[in-house]
Amino acid sequence: MFALGPGCPGFNPGFAAPGMWTLSHMDLVLIQILNGLQYGLLIFLAASGLTLVFGILGIINLSHGSFYMLGAYAALTLTEPLGDVFRALAVGIPLAFLFGLAIEWLFIRHLYKRDHLQQVLLTFAMILIFNELQQTIWGSHPHSIPTPVYLTSTIRLTETLSYPVYRLVLTAICLALALAMVFVIQKTRVGRLIRAAESNREMVEALGFDSQLLFRFVFATGVALAAAAGIIAAPVESAYPGIGDKVLIISFVVVVIGGIGSIRGAFVGALLIGLADAMGKVFLPSFASVMIYGVMALVLVLRPAGLFGRA
Amino acid sequence: MFRRPSLPIAVALCITVIALACVPFVLSPYAVKFTTRVLVLAIMVISLDLLIGITGLVSFGHAAFFALGAYAVYFVSPESESANALVVLVAGATLAAAGAFVIGVFAMLTRGFYFIMVTLAAGQMVFSIFYDTDIAKGSDGAYVNVKPDLTIGGSTLLDFDNRRQFFYVCLILLAATYLFLLWLVRSRFGRVLQGIRINEQRMRALGYDTYRYRLAVFVIAGAIAGIAGALFACIDGFVTPELASWRESGLAIMMVVLGGTGTLYGAVIGAFAYSVLEEILKSASMVGPFVAEHWRFGMGVALAAAVLGAPRGLAGLFQSRTWRAPAPIGTDFVHRDFARPERRAHTLSIRDLARHFGGLRAVDGVSLELQANFVHAIIGPNGAGKTTLINLLSGELKPSGGKVYLDELDITGSPPHRIARAGVGRSFQRTNVFGDFTVRDNCALAAESRAGADRKRIAHALDVAGLAHRDDSIAGQLSSGEQRQLEIAMLIASGVDLLLLDEPLAGMGLEETQRVVALLRDLARDHTIVLIEHDMDAVFAAADTLTVLVQGRVLAHGAPSEVRRNPAVREAYLGEQDAA
Repeated sequence: MFALGPGCPGFNPGFAAPGMWTLSHMDLVLIQILNGLQYGLLIFLAASGLTLVFGILGIINLSHGSFYMLGAYAALTLTEPLGDVFRALAVGIPLAFLFGLAIEWLFIRHLYKRDHLQQVLLTFAMILIFNELQQTIWGSHPHSIPTPVYLTSTIRLTETLSYPVYRLVLTAICLALALAMVFVIQKTRVGRLIRAAESNREMVEALGFDSQLLFRFVFATGVALAAAAGIIAAPVESAYPGIGDKVLIISFVVVVIGGIGSIRGAFVGALLIGLADAMGKVFLPSFASVMIYGVMALVLVLRPAGLFGRA
Repeated sequence: MFRRPSLPIAVALCITVIALACVPFVLSPYAVKFTTRVLVLAIMVISLDLLIGITGLVSFGHAAFFALGAYAVYFVSPESESANALVVLVAGATLAAAGAFVIGVFAMLTRGFYFIMVTLAAGQMVFSIFYDTDIAKGSDGAYVNVKPDLTIGGSTLLDFDNRRQFFYVCLILLAATYLFLLWLVRSRFGRVLQGIRINEQRMRALGYDTYRYRLAVFVIAGAIAGIAGALFACIDGFVTPELASWRESGLAIMMVVLGGTGTLYGAVIGAFAYSVLEEILKSASMVGPFVAEHWRFGMGVALAAAVLGAPRGLAGLFQSRTWRAPAPIGTDFVHRDFARPERRAHTLSIRDLARHFGGLRAVDGVSLELQANFVHAIIGPNGAGKTTLINLLSGELKPSGGKVYLDELDITGSPPHRIARAGVGRSFQRTNVFGDFTVRDNCALAAESRAGADRKRIAHALDVAGLAHRDDSIAGQLSSGEQRQLEIAMLIASGVDLLLLDEPLAGMGLEETQRVVALLRDLARDHTIVLIEHDMDAVFAAADTLTVLVQGRVLAHGAPSEVRRNPAVREAYLGEQDAA
């Protein structure tokens, strides 16, 4: 059994700067807002793939977190020969996309006509397989991934407050990827097809589009996004067994809050959860994770189909 | 419909129990402990099958109740003496049931994927509470120092520390759980649960408050899982937050699906198959050190193969494919004479009713007075808002504005089961009878929703609908026309007197159509009927009034012959029909 609770080592997505408790209250809040935004954007990359796969393919993919985990370990393997983590990212994204195509062909395509229960079961079995692969290849010890040397410094935000540069760059990259995705979905032909399939899959098929091809593309894109998040977060979060489980659960919470299939919902949900988690860690350390689920329960009571979901 | 296990399976189950009873005498202490653990898991898994296989609630947080049961043992056990075994089990069930109630109140608001995710999150919440706080030593887990026993008047009757005694406690409790659930599932309550699984929308339309039924079964399953958890805590005398983790919930689902959902005994098979497979794959002496080291990989592949290869689970391999007719239901009710009065049915007044979807005004200010004992037909081109209107009247949708009165009763925006109980029944555009049930059981389920399953009433309903000769047939095997007739029979049996029928003639041949038109005329003697229909000949033959709906508004309303002459209607609607 894996410890995947918020108390386990490496869980803290934020960065407790040394001597943090000497900071003033306002600075602490500011740091946690930055951490929350960064964590939220990371989670958005993972959750957006999950929400698209459910919204368009109709698949509950429990193994989605494993792709984040594999991304983190890919960063571990690729960073050393390639030089730094950004090159690992450039190589890792296409690799992950190909990996996604293979997984869709091997497992996922058998599930399109099956019920939720069998999807849950098969993707759960996939988690066991991926975890064992990870154990066999990389072992069970946590590994840290070096931050690029030119980004190891911190930046002064106010007189008493400084913040690691890499985290700001990480936030910027996540934001860029998120914007790129929104652009693709809103402005391109493929994106229009994705939006159409999300609202009415049968109609898209009836119009003569090859839904199988679309499904494969969407699934592989989701895998690539999750892996990308795993790679760029690796220098901050390190790579350890069970990291995928944590991401999976949080991503599901985000998808449910935002409404299934809604990219916009996943974005709002991810930032909400990122901030709630970061603030909870400081002000209610014992209940930070309970708070996340509390936010979800509250949203569902008020809007049972999520913030941007269709009832 | 849930079937009692066939004779060979019942015999096999008895032999299994006897064989298990021999385990403490023939196997090693390690094997006895292993078997005890599996027996306890089986109790938990069987309670999950009640949710998944019987009610259709895929709960991904069932381990939380298992864990609450286990922690209850820790809470009631004194530091250095033994707790009362009965108190321990009751405490486990109570704490888990309380947890299930609190979680269920929220979780039951959601369905499908959202339900899976909400229960998953709820389970994680329970996990976090035990993991992050100092309750019961937090993430380290806690020991129950002295195991519970049952001492009456100084003599110890049962000692959970005695491996053999504890084994039998678990075996007996598993058998008792199975028999209890067998009884529960075959009771009226159980039939409603199965109805919810097959078609919850229809159960609501029949007048069942499905929220309550789902919550009740969630609490029952939670309590049973709590008992299993309490037993589990007594095996090693150790409780840890990991018991509540989502992986444990996932494993329980695995076992249910592996064994075969909806059979109850399949859950036991699943628990044993999974545990034994895991034990074999982990054992280096049996499979070699390489496989044993990577046993999870083997497990994953085996499970993936099971999903793709045996979709009905292992129990599916044992089930005979022949159909055994279940005992007729409803016979245990008092017989009442059912004289058919020519009574006045309800009227329906609709005032300025509207429903908007974003910018789309699907129903845009409809006002109609629908008289009692009339057949009212609503026609209109596709997208005119006909089905939306029916959904507003039956409570499936809440109106954006306007009022609906049933006689003097304001039913605007009431939930479907309330409206059904007030006397409004509906059929759906897509036929959705309960395909696994017999024709008679379909009607019994409908009748039990409000009128009581009086055999004569059911027979009458079948007779009126022209299905008396098919009452033992499986509903799924009827022709589509006969399924439409069955839907009407179910509405009659449920005792409603205002029928909302969404395209009752769709997919019918000429002869069937004529039969149903005659049936509708006949029904109007003691019912009010509102129907949406495309078949114009049938509409003119059956209807007393005709309403034409175009773009969410009433274009014309009146006697069919008047409406037929209305030039606007001819242009907007019938013109197209004539041309076609």
